Amino acid sequence: MSNEARKVMLELDSVSLSYHTGKKTFDAGKHRVLNNVSLTLREGEALGVIGRNGVGKTTTLRLMAGILAPTSGRVKVASGKSASLLTLGLGFKPDLSGRDNALLAAMLQGSSRKQAEAFLDDIAEFSELGESFELPVKNYSAGMRSRLAFTAALMTHVDILLIDEILSVGDAQFRTKALNAMQNRITGEQTVVFVSHMTDQVKALCDRVIWLEHGEVVAEGPADEVVDAYAEQVTK
Amino acid sequence: MPLSQYFRLMDVMARMALRADASRFFLGYIWWVLEPLLWVGVFYVVFVIILGSRSEDFLPFLMVGKLSFVWFSKSITQASNSIVAGKGLVGKINVPKTLFPMAMVHEGLYRQAAVFLMMFLYVLIDGYSVTSAWFYLLPVMVVNYVMIIACALVGACAVCMARDFSPLIGLGMMFLMFTSGVFWNVRDLDPAKAEMVLALNPLAFMLDAYRQILLVGIPPDMGHLLSIGAGFGALLCVMVLVMRRASHYLALKALTA
Repeated sequence: MSNEARKVMLELDSVSLSYHTGKKTFDAGKHRVLNNVSLTLREGEALGVIGRNGVGKTTTLRLMAGILAPTSGRVKVASGKSASLLTLGLGFKPDLSGRDNALLAAMLQGSSRKQAEAFLDDIAEFSELGESFELPVKNYSAGMRSRLAFTAALMTHVDILLIDEILSVGDAQFRTKALNAMQNRITGEQTVVFVSHMTDQVKALCDRVIWLEHGEVVAEGPADEVVDAYAEQVTK
Repeated sequence: MPLSQYFRLMDVMARMALRADASRFFLGYIWWVLEPLLWVGVFYVVFVIILGSRSEDFLPFLMVGKLSFVWFSKSITQASNSIVAGKGLVGKINVPKTLFPMAMVHEGLYRQAAVFLMMFLYVLIDGYSVTSAWFYLLPVMVVNYVMIIACALVGACAVCMARDFSPLIGLGMMFLMFTSGVFWNVRDLDPAKAEMVLALNPLAFMLDAYRQILLVGIPPDMGHLLSIGAGFGALLCVMVLVMRRASHYLALKALTA
């Protein structure tokens, strides 16, 4: 099926977002995060979003997930479809065990308590935490924490998966495992928007890429073309 | 989010926060009753031992007033900062913003259950007896809880929109502590003034209601109690609607202010 024939899952129509920074401070004024951004996401598509820090990538995902509303323009999600932001460390409490934190993270991402409890053994296994799963997260190394966070996030099941920079986790072996797990999700019928600074991963996972600069779309097209153009610009 | 999921999540968030809190301290859950008892101890030392200006019944009088007041003040102070404190989550998931203050108030409810149990035991050990008026504790506690939730939602919304409200809420709690009859008896005022304080300050009415039930054996004025319940119940509903409509705005304020 051609891309155009697929059902539109999500659409950003001339979306802008700005806000006023604090009054009576040195940085007072209007801050424009996104300016007139339009894009369409179709069923089963994996769309990459690239750009430097602070260009509005995370804000774009937050708009898609319904966390924020645009100042102007419209965000349209297909009727009956859910979009959820997949992100690391969802409200992790360092004094709680990995198990408790994973349960809380799964419930925050929309699972019922029963579903969340059913995920726990899978999370323990995939994250390779062993007995540490029962220990407080404050005793974890940064790598262990990332592994737990990634695995808890991976368990989310939604129609449109919005992924914010979560594949740079753990050691090289776990990164490969994480990338494979994500690839398995994406190669199915999962619709995905993927934000990352790791251009190789964007190329590997995405069909199409948009490049954001100063809150505007400067390029959109096949992953290889856009990522190469971006890489060239960055290394200049 | 379905309502059942909302309440389950609120409960899990509250329980997890309690567990995390208890694990931080050597005395763990004992702090639930130890902290309010220490508060009472401090005021007892000041008012009874140092100033020596109170009657023999002052300790139960102080305990009932102070422990009920701490429930109100602590819940609201903590809940007011909850959306801002939870901005890490606010930026990642689209959940009703009421969830943050509600989970905090719910956490306070669990603690207060232990505190009330200890308070009732103390009152009985001190020689007071269970009377038919004790049945009125339930409606008084329910209205008190509704009052706390409504004020917590107002506080959470206000602090989210402007952080300046946070110290003002702290100051407001101090003002309420001195004006609600925590250390003094509203009924010692001349009748006209007492009536005015009880009519204008719902918290003074609530503290007096606990004392009247537990220490005097007299039920509260149910008409007055119901009017307080209805007023704060209406405020609660309005706040839920406002926060639902302003969910994106509150998220933006929490993330950017």
